[in-house]
Amino acid sequence: MGHFILFYRLLIRPLFKEPVRAFLTVLSVALGVAVVLAIDLAGTAATGSFRSSMDTLAGDHDLEIVATGGVPEAVVGSVVSLPYAIHASPRIEDFAVLPEKKQTLPLIGLDLVAEASSYANRLQGAPPAGSENYLEHLGKSSIWIGESTGYKPGDRLELLINDHSKKYIVRGIYPDAHGNEGAIVMDIAEAQEALTRYGRVDRILLKVLPSSTLEEWQQRLRSALPLGVDVRPQGAGTNENRRMLASFRWNLRLLSYISLIVGAFLIYNTISVSVVRRRPEIGIVRALGASRKSVLAAFVGEAATFGFAGALIAVPLGRLMATGAVKLMGATVDALYVSSRPGVIELSVSSVLLAFAVGIGVAVVSAYSPAREASLVSPVEAMARGRREFDVRVQKRRDLMLAVALGTAAAASSRAPALGGKPVFGYLAVILLIAASALAMPAFVALVTSCASKLLGSLLGVEALLASRSLDASLRRTSVLVGALSTAIAMMTSVGIMVGSFRQTVTLWMNDELPADLYLRPAGSRSADRHPTISLELADKIAGLPGVAWVDRVRVYEISYGGMPATLASVDLKVMRPYKQSDLLSGRPIEQVLANLRDSNSVIVSEPFAYKHNVKIGNSVLLLLGEKQGSFRIVDVYYDYSSERGNILMDRNTLLQYLPDPAPSNIAVYVAADAQLETVRAEIGQATAGYRVLMTSNRDLRKEAIKVFDRTFAITYALEAVAVLVAVMGVVGALLALVIDRRREFSVLRFLGAAKGQVRKLILVEAGLLGILANCAGVALGLAMSLVLIFVINKQSFGWTIRFHWPVAILLGAISLVYVATVGAGIYPANVAVGLNPLEVVHEE
Amino acid sequence: MAILSLQNVSKDYLTDGQCVRALREVTLEVSCGDFLALVGRSGCGKSTLLNLAGAMDFPTSGEVLVNGVATSSLNDAGLTRLRREKVGFIFQSFQLLHTLTVCENVELPWLLAGKPAGRAAARDRLAWVELEELEDRYPHQLSGGQMQRVAIARALIHAPSILLADEPTGNLDTETGNNILLLLQRVTREHNTATILATHSLEAAALATGVVRMRDGKIEEIVR
Repeated sequence: MGHFILFYRLLIRPLFKEPVRAFLTVLSVALGVAVVLAIDLAGTAATGSFRSSMDTLAGDHDLEIVATGGVPEAVVGSVVSLPYAIHASPRIEDFAVLPEKKQTLPLIGLDLVAEASSYANRLQGAPPAGSENYLEHLGKSSIWIGESTGYKPGDRLELLINDHSKKYIVRGIYPDAHGNEGAIVMDIAEAQEALTRYGRVDRILLKVLPSSTLEEWQQRLRSALPLGVDVRPQGAGTNENRRMLASFRWNLRLLSYISLIVGAFLIYNTISVSVVRRRPEIGIVRALGASRKSVLAAFVGEAATFGFAGALIAVPLGRLMATGAVKLMGATVDALYVSSRPGVIELSVSSVLLAFAVGIGVAVVSAYSPAREASLVSPVEAMARGRREFDVRVQKRRDLMLAVALGTAAAASSRAPALGGKPVFGYLAVILLIAASALAMPAFVALVTSCASKLLGSLLGVEALLASRSLDASLRRTSVLVGALSTAIAMMTSVGIMVGSFRQTVTLWMNDELPADLYLRPAGSRSADRHPTISLELADKIAGLPGVAWVDRVRVYEISYGGMPATLASVDLKVMRPYKQSDLLSGRPIEQVLANLRDSNSVIVSEPFAYKHNVKIGNSVLLLLGEKQGSFRIVDVYYDYSSERGNILMDRNTLLQYLPDPAPSNIAVYVAADAQLETVRAEIGQATAGYRVLMTSNRDLRKEAIKVFDRTFAITYALEAVAVLVAVMGVVGALLALVIDRRREFSVLRFLGAAKGQVRKLILVEAGLLGILANCAGVALGLAMSLVLIFVINKQSFGWTIRFHWPVAILLGAISLVYVATVGAGIYPANVAVGLNPLEVVHEE
Repeated sequence: MAILSLQNVSKDYLTDGQCVRALREVTLEVSCGDFLALVGRSGCGKSTLLNLAGAMDFPTSGEVLVNGVATSSLNDAGLTRLRREKVGFIFQSFQLLHTLTVCENVELPWLLAGKPAGRAAARDRLAWVELEELEDRYPHQLSGGQMQRVAIARALIHAPSILLADEPTGNLDTETGNNILLLLQRVTREHNTATILATHSLEAAALATGVVRMRDGKIEEIVR
């Protein structure tokens, strides 16, 4: 108890005398922990607890039968006629758009006749329960809809399915909480008609007896079913998507840890300052009998107090931030990966405990080194009067050597391959780079300040000379502060370069990938895994218009390959496209490669696909298509940035041999050389009257693509901003500490004739110098980190090749903003310095 | 004419809500060439008198005139200007900036006044205190006596009319302290400054041209 009272009086109570500085330190920890917690919570909601929209009303089945392009209806009959007790539930699964709400919902067709006993109770909506026979509404434009949509039985609504709209009547609602999603349910026959998907279903869910294992059931069923059809555990699609989303989630996690690292620097600085100030007290308590361990424990305890207080704020703050983060993450998941609706954000006990563990853990680890130094202080030395202020000697040379070693280790680590599909060594390289930078900082700061102080003095006056000398004199403090700020700037720089490079790569890629003049697709929002179709007669109509040179009918299917979602697409290779350059990894002319694909079992695959599945030119891929199985030879690999899923591209005629549905997912229109684009556009507009399609010009499509691209990085920008905010707060706190520790110096300056404005200028110049040092170090570190991000982490996570590009204007703008913020951080400490009463400070009566 | 004149000056401070009268109706005139010792116990008002004389603070009542200018007629900027031009301070703890060399410390008030580089003037002042060979050293490389000499050189950089020293020998051994006092005496004589020394030292009182005895904020006796 006595120790606790002493701890409070000697270490905690003094913090109340500097409430602003203490609060800034706590807030730095709080922000760092809050960001980590927010990303974790949002990640779980947006990706970790991801559940395929199509598992709505799936119930508890064991297996599912799937096939690209749909499972033939006959398979249902084959399954139920097997000599096993298997319950089969066929389903149609697609999406429909509610135009009035601008919302896209899963559209699920269920066999409401054969399975009336299963669904009647679940879908009954009209009171009193059981009084209406829902079978009477089948085939009469009837739908059932989830409760969360807000509709009631009897409501009429319009649905956009593929390129057609139709009106439907809500016959009932079903509760869509607890694992189900707000979806539109109709009878399977009605769904087939709406989707013009006759003779096929999307999935058959199976319930089997537990007499055999699932693997045995799978084997048994595969032997009885057509080759192109697959049997797998139910929910396999969800698991595949979760695996695909794992890299995205991991990369965001890493970014969120940067704020925590910046916070760790600041805790280190705070405890170091505390140790320096309290040296005489340490000497006194040691002389009075305190052990080294208790001194160590005291300072570690001080850090733990900051960590605990920070975590207390972080928990509600992180929960609040998660609400915004999940929206941003959800938009990215939808655009790049898979249709999904984020789950509920759950702040569980384990999340709260994790927040406290992280906050206290990081604070304690950061504080250990200065706390250990405090425990080694000799009482006599600490209490000696008349000595100048002690500053721990910084081992510049040793630390620089260590920095070089860590930098070398980072370079080596960056060359290592992925581990389990994750760029673990890439992450390690980034951490090693940050550590190397921190160790090199004292040498860098000493070099710059000692070389520049006279120059600064002659350029900016004696205040600048004093400022630079002061930074050099408190080298450890300065180095840690510059380290913190430069880490945040490095994060901003590296992500800025990575995103800028990616953007430039995508922009250049789109020049060739979008060679057509106009593009048409079914109306409704886009998603990486939704591919509604356009009526074939519309495509033919457009192709026949004067002024249209040719029309490319592109068809896209979602498939599963190697346990991961992928996309299979076909293009009409009879269409002559103008290509400016080769987008193929081999560098061969694209016309030559596409000619190889024509009418053959050859494919080209996207770079992400080749990377994920470790395939290359000359390999073959085995695809289950319809009722058949086909082996397709890879003749080349192409750069593709449209999604991370991985694409396989083949000739339209080849695909039609396996999947005969000719309706295209989208149409690319090439205007004849002697025709006017606007005239053709108007003609197409007339031809599409009555169809719900969107027509976009080449230029607008690119603009839209770039907008989507920018939106997907919104969350990374938000994380950068937090890291920079934490660092700038650290600058305020550290400058405040410097002002308080140097109050005697400022008072003497006032005695010597310094005006208040000169004292203010001194602090602001110090803040500015810190900003310049941090910017220089941060940009250098950021450049190194960007190379790892672009060529290692991104490549190993997603498989994309990104061409390095300097987004100079954006970087300059961002760095300038941070610099201004850093100088601004000096305003409050400068005011404190100016407000000091020199008389109170200097005289020793 | 007196370079420094305190006319019926009182100074009150508020400490924890309580009013403390540090100086009570003090009247004192100091001319160039005077070497005055302020003596008295701790808390008698010596430092307060020095602060007012050095234009670091305003009197609560009465008038402080420095070179004929009433300090209470000036704002903070005016006091700063007056200090720069007319007053030099010397402290018990030397108060040198450890990040600057000896020469840079001496030059500092010159630079704060916005004057062009005062390296030559700084070297000149260091020569006055016989430390010219140490100009590139840092304070932590000097002895206590050397540090105080540097502080004196710094106080003299503007060739001030008034030199105020608050216990300048308080942190020095006897011999070094005596040397400092002799130095101050010489400087006062050679440069015709008005030097006021707050001190407990009998040696200082013995060297002074006048002794001002203070007690409880009042001047008890002035012996010239």
